[in-house]
Amino acid sequence: MKRIGKYWAIFKTQILNTLAYPGELAWRSLSIILFLWVFANLWRVTYRAEGSGTLNGISLKDMLWYLMLAETIELGKPRLARVMADAVKDGSVAYLLNKPYHFILYHLSTGMGESLVRGSMTALFGGAIVWLMMGPPPDPRGWPLAAAGVLGAWLLHFCVNALIGLAAFVSEEVAPYEWIYQKLAFILGGLFIPLDLYPLWLQNIARYLPFAYMLYGPARLFIAPDIGLFLNVLGGQIFWLAVLGGLLFFFYSRGMRRLAINGG
Amino acid sequence: MIRRQIPFLLALWKANLQAAMEYRGAFLAQVLGMMLNNAVYFVFWILFFDRFKQVNGWNLNDMLLLFGIAAGSFGLGVFLFGNLMFLGDIIAKGRLDYYLSLPRPVLLHALASRSITSGLGDFTYGMISFMLAGQFGADTMARFFLGLISATAVFVGFMVLVQSLAFWLGNSSALAQLALNAIVTFALYPISLFDNTAKFLLFTLVPAAFMGAIPAGFVRSFSWSALAQLTLAAIVFLGLAVWTFRRGLRRYESGSAIQIET
Repeated sequence: MKRIGKYWAIFKTQILNTLAYPGELAWRSLSIILFLWVFANLWRVTYRAEGSGTLNGISLKDMLWYLMLAETIELGKPRLARVMADAVKDGSVAYLLNKPYHFILYHLSTGMGESLVRGSMTALFGGAIVWLMMGPPPDPRGWPLAAAGVLGAWLLHFCVNALIGLAAFVSEEVAPYEWIYQKLAFILGGLFIPLDLYPLWLQNIARYLPFAYMLYGPARLFIAPDIGLFLNVLGGQIFWLAVLGGLLFFFYSRGMRRLAINGG
Repeated sequence: MIRRQIPFLLALWKANLQAAMEYRGAFLAQVLGMMLNNAVYFVFWILFFDRFKQVNGWNLNDMLLLFGIAAGSFGLGVFLFGNLMFLGDIIAKGRLDYYLSLPRPVLLHALASRSITSGLGDFTYGMISFMLAGQFGADTMARFFLGLISATAVFVGFMVLVQSLAFWLGNSSALAQLALNAIVTFALYPISLFDNTAKFLLFTLVPAAFMGAIPAGFVRSFSWSALAQLTLAAIVFLGLAVWTFRRGLRRYESGSAIQIET
């Protein structure tokens, strides 16, 4: 219990840190309004051109609420790749290594603390603009299922981000990995278009990759809560967490063996 | 006056390029990585038009031209004038002292003192996107070149304008980030999606129309009206940027901090 307690304390401290500058936090969260307003225009025109109230069973209103949650996950996700990479490259990783906590779990606690605050603020602004443009959100009884999905999605994002950060042990520059991973998640995770609207062959590929459980799964649960879908998302997230988390701890222990710290 | 600055600018850009290429692996990773990043992003439009064919008169070919101009101008802007992304921070932290103490135009020197390497990837991707649109005539290429220069001028002018608000607001990095997100996001979507009020904003407050749709339309077919709009927008936004920066500079207070520019 004591071991978990220290990470809980780091998590709470990070929440307070992120809340310390509410003005800055609010400004940074405003971007979602831009994105959702552009999407609203794009999809309104598209639905009108199709002359149909629904596309693959998704109404325009549901489409915007789906995009709101997907954007909230994306904009709120832990972004630790550069922080970890810099710590590895400039040697400041040594400062954390001699403390009585695990390097990865420390970053997990800070990352999730920041995600919780940034994600909540983003959802608040995003929810307000979609409500204003399209009407009220989906049935609140489905929200706990979607919230659980969001938590799983952020954990998956953390694993990939940390893996990219640790790539600094072997690579001069990790930013390109981060860009490409982000764009793959955009496309194969269904950030701009729900996977249901993709060609069948691409849907089948996407469903076998982790990205679908990072964005599409939780966002679909939000607009169409269903216990079968929930179990599918949960199962996929647990499977990919085991794979990516395993890889993360494996590469972390390999990286530590390569680490050379000179002076202090 | 302007002619004197050209060799200076060329020397700065050469030094920036040499510095970036010092680490070949990182340089190539950033350039190729950004090209791949943009290409994967464009898959969204391929999937979209595979399903819906066209949206308010825009098709995949129009999007290739739009990305050619928008990615090209963004890349050119951040590669040649990389500090446009950090100018507000430089002002707020009192780091303009270094540029003020040298006998060169402060704004030009500050902007061109840094190159963002990945911008070269954006620029190259923009060229490839333009070529994929299949417009190979000499007149089309000339229009693309003109459109690109004008879009870059508007982008640089807009960012300098926003970043210069740091003279009055202090730390305005969040505002600058929002402005950057706004101009890039709106530039990458067909302008026909938006109603007249939104269009008015995209020609004035956030001039994304001049970084995407207007130059892209000009590349597709020549019109005197588009040429006049592009020229005027470039002059107005660059002029406003320089004027605002100079006004702000009067309020600038040095932090007297010891600093070294590398």
